[in-house]
Amino acid sequence: MADLLGIATSGLGAIQQALSTAGHNIANVNTEGYSRQVADFSTLPAQRIGNSFLGSGVEVGAVRRAYDSFVVDELRTRSSKLGQATSFESLSSSLDSLVGDSDNGLSTTLEGFFNAIQGVASDPSSLSARQILLSDAEILTDRFTQLNNNLLSFERDTNNRITSAVGEINGLADNLAELNADIVLALGGGAVPNDLLDQRDALLMQLSEKVGIISLEQTDGAVNVFVGKGQPLVVGGTSQNLVVVDSPVYPGRLEVGVAQPGGATQIITNQISGGELQGVLDFRTRVLDPAMSKLGRLAVGMTELVNAQHQLGIDLNGQLGGDFFSPISSPVISAASNTGAATVSFTIDNVSDLEASDYLLVFDGAQWGLTRTADGAFSGGAGPFALDGITVNIAGGAPVAGDTYLIRPVHGAAGSFGLELASPEQFAAAAPVVSSLSLGNSGSAEISDVQVSSTTGLPLAGDITLTYNAAIPGYDVVGGPGGSIAFNPTTESGGKTFTFAGSGGLSFTLSGIPSNGDVITLSANTGAPGDNRNALFLGAMQSQALLDGSSATFGESYSGMVGGVGVATRQGKANLQAEDSLMDSAVAARERVSGVNLEQEAAELVRLQQAYQAAAQLVAITDTLFQTLLNATAR
Amino acid sequence: MTISTTQIFRLGINAILDQQEGLARTQLQIASGKRIQTPSDDPSGAVKVIDIQEQIATAEQHLRNGQFARTELSLEEGAMTGAQNVIQRVRELMIQANNDTQSEGTRQGIATEIRARRDELLALANARNASGDYLFAGFKLDSQPFSLSGGSVIYSGDQGQRRIQVGPSSLVPVSDSGVDVFQLIKTGNGILTADDTAGNTGSGTVKSLSQNSGFVSDTYTLNIIQLAATDPITYEVRDAAAALVSSGTYESSEAIAFNGISMVVEGVPANGDSFTVSPSTNQDIFTTLNNIIVALEAPSTELADNASLHNDMNEGLNNIDQALDNFLRVRSNIGSRLNNLDSQNEVNENFLLRMKAAISETQDLDFAEAISRLSSQATSLEAAQKVFVEVQSLSLFNFL
Repeated sequence: MADLLGIATSGLGAIQQALSTAGHNIANVNTEGYSRQVADFSTLPAQRIGNSFLGSGVEVGAVRRAYDSFVVDELRTRSSKLGQATSFESLSSSLDSLVGDSDNGLSTTLEGFFNAIQGVASDPSSLSARQILLSDAEILTDRFTQLNNNLLSFERDTNNRITSAVGEINGLADNLAELNADIVLALGGGAVPNDLLDQRDALLMQLSEKVGIISLEQTDGAVNVFVGKGQPLVVGGTSQNLVVVDSPVYPGRLEVGVAQPGGATQIITNQISGGELQGVLDFRTRVLDPAMSKLGRLAVGMTELVNAQHQLGIDLNGQLGGDFFSPISSPVISAASNTGAATVSFTIDNVSDLEASDYLLVFDGAQWGLTRTADGAFSGGAGPFALDGITVNIAGGAPVAGDTYLIRPVHGAAGSFGLELASPEQFAAAAPVVSSLSLGNSGSAEISDVQVSSTTGLPLAGDITLTYNAAIPGYDVVGGPGGSIAFNPTTESGGKTFTFAGSGGLSFTLSGIPSNGDVITLSANTGAPGDNRNALFLGAMQSQALLDGSSATFGESYSGMVGGVGVATRQGKANLQAEDSLMDSAVAARERVSGVNLEQEAAELVRLQQAYQAAAQLVAITDTLFQTLLNATAR
Repeated sequence: MTISTTQIFRLGINAILDQQEGLARTQLQIASGKRIQTPSDDPSGAVKVIDIQEQIATAEQHLRNGQFARTELSLEEGAMTGAQNVIQRVRELMIQANNDTQSEGTRQGIATEIRARRDELLALANARNASGDYLFAGFKLDSQPFSLSGGSVIYSGDQGQRRIQVGPSSLVPVSDSGVDVFQLIKTGNGILTADDTAGNTGSGTVKSLSQNSGFVSDTYTLNIIQLAATDPITYEVRDAAAALVSSGTYESSEAIAFNGISMVVEGVPANGDSFTVSPSTNQDIFTTLNNIIVALEAPSTELADNASLHNDMNEGLNNIDQALDNFLRVRSNIGSRLNNLDSQNEVNENFLLRMKAAISETQDLDFAEAISRLSSQATSLEAAQKVFVEVQSLSLFNFL
């Protein structure tokens, strides 16, 4: 009888525990990372009575989590990928809207600038047309620097995101280490701390959202976490923090590192894979850097090319044109860690061939290696290196292995894009050489297409006169290169072009049939406010493919940058969508195993309630049996 | 298969959120009328739009340039019409003055009118546009191109010709230098010119001068020889090196031919009179007019004076005709430039139309498609909401 009561109370106790477990499940239905718990019933040891074993009741053997470690690992991997896709998409989308907004864009100001040049070409003596050109050029340069500043603010944003992500990672690592210690302690006591395990899984999820991790469960129940190429983040009950340091090479850029024994910091930025951190780093290298370089290339290209043409002109004061835009000089950045004595410099040889990329020059102990960062193209040797329209020169003392130099011909150059021209009169709309036919000519000689191609020998020291000499046949040249030039009117009256290299690269076309002694004069242009020839050349640059290996106009160079950001953002969006649905299925897989279903718990409650009622009935029966026995023996 | 309660909730709410996102996008597209909201919506389309917009802006600038060029050319055309009228009038006056019925007094009157016409022409040559720039000064459009100094005119401009971009590869000249219009005018018949020598005493006047294609270009002197009054009048032609080229008996109005040149002298020249035939040179119109005025104002009391006047008038008429030819050439140049502007204008307008169509095709929204998409998205959202409410209301707890 006492056994029967024991069996009944063991049933009541066990069912109560199971009811509590179901209640715990219901209560935690909305708890993030909670795994449904299941109370496993098991029979109490039976007693041998006579020839048979009699059962002695029930107990809850264990309360376990509904859990599948493969599903959870997969979830963590997806979470890393999703974190990466999310941060990449969010950053590139905001850059996308920035460059896509025509109010912020360059195109209208670029058009305005070239239209203003055309305006001066139409009416070169008009000071107001020139003033409009100056202010439109000012607007253009302002827009360039503004756009560059916007891009720089994205660079700062990536820095901030790296700092905060690393901060969160370190916080999570500390919590993980503490939980590890608690779990090891609890497991040592013999019971499985389900809720602590769930909490640790939740922390690992949050951590993998920030950065890709490798987690290894130890025999004592602790989980060791590694980032990058095996950099330990959490080992047992201790955590090792990541640090954020200034890049030794790239100015204004933060890198992720780990503290090494002895105080040094090893930079592991390139080893990071997955997570929000990787998304930010990807955005920096795949979207932001190319955009800044392309914008910079446009700024450098316009500065160099417009200046070169402007210098071939004559302003309203009769002076040769100066710089239209302020010359841009980009320094070579020597890494803070360099110990060698080499000095590195570079020159731009051909603006049209410039690539939108940085270059890293590294000495490996035997030779120099130059890497184009945009695509990793490598060339090695002793230097100098001539490629992509630049020449990298190496001079000075001996280098030390590992010495690194960053060469940025275009990156960020848009920030220094500025207007040099101070007054409207200084715009060189005119060409430096004018031609005239002598009034005494009796032949039909004509001269056309007079233009210059270099500033060497300009302004002309004196007039160059061409006098037709039928005996050559050709023109005797006085001034300039002197001598004579052959021109045969019977075969060449349709036009023949000559070039005087030493006199500003002066070229001109002679045509017609001159009479002996006819004179054509080429003279320095002074005081010709109506001359618009150089303005026409400047205006024509708008439609010439002058950049990117002579394949893109200025406008196309800009739209190419916008397109680049658009393509990367589109990829980012598609990627995010894919990761989103992969994440959804990973979550669904986990929920299938570990999720709480209220219907299931309700049914469980009904089942347990019935069992509890039955067990309680057993107590009543025991009582009735006992009373029967008492009544029988009480007489 | 067990589906957790949170999963059911998540599925329901995600379906609604997705539908809402699509709906909001369509709404934004309809509100802005643009298919492409940010470059990532269609990167190649966005690039195309930017490139086309630049081309549109350029074409619009070319149209504006064309307007400007038209104004400049119209001004020049007006000035040239005026100049032509002046020269026509001078021509009439000269023919009038060349008539022997004119007296010295009436010739003086004619000279006075020609002088007034010359000043009118000078004013036309110094014409300015609306911004005060001289039309015929070449590139030096801030300095008055022509000024009189004594009897001759000084040109202060240069020989530059301003051109304006009116199409991607089309430059239209909008000016002609004063040299080209008023100064580079050949004398005589454009190839040769004949002149009497000052001091001739006979009444010989040069009637005509022509040459065939094989003529020898040189300066020739025709000397009249009649040693005694009873001798026949003979002539000899010598070249610049004084070598005898031709000789013969002089007959009035009979052609004298030498070295491919044919010359007719009329009247009775006296012994020792001479005429020169030389290659044409350039003579500006103002010098031509001055020479005419001087000739008309010279006293004409003797027979020789008359012959000299006739010679000068004939020579002047030749020069005036050359000037008219030159003015006509400049005017027809202006006309063809204006035609060119018209056709370029049309090309630009067509280009603009096509580009605007292309840009609209690339970035504008197909409203019919978008509206039907909007309504289907709205239906889907409604369905998702309904399903969510239905599913959420199902619970076993309702029956416990």
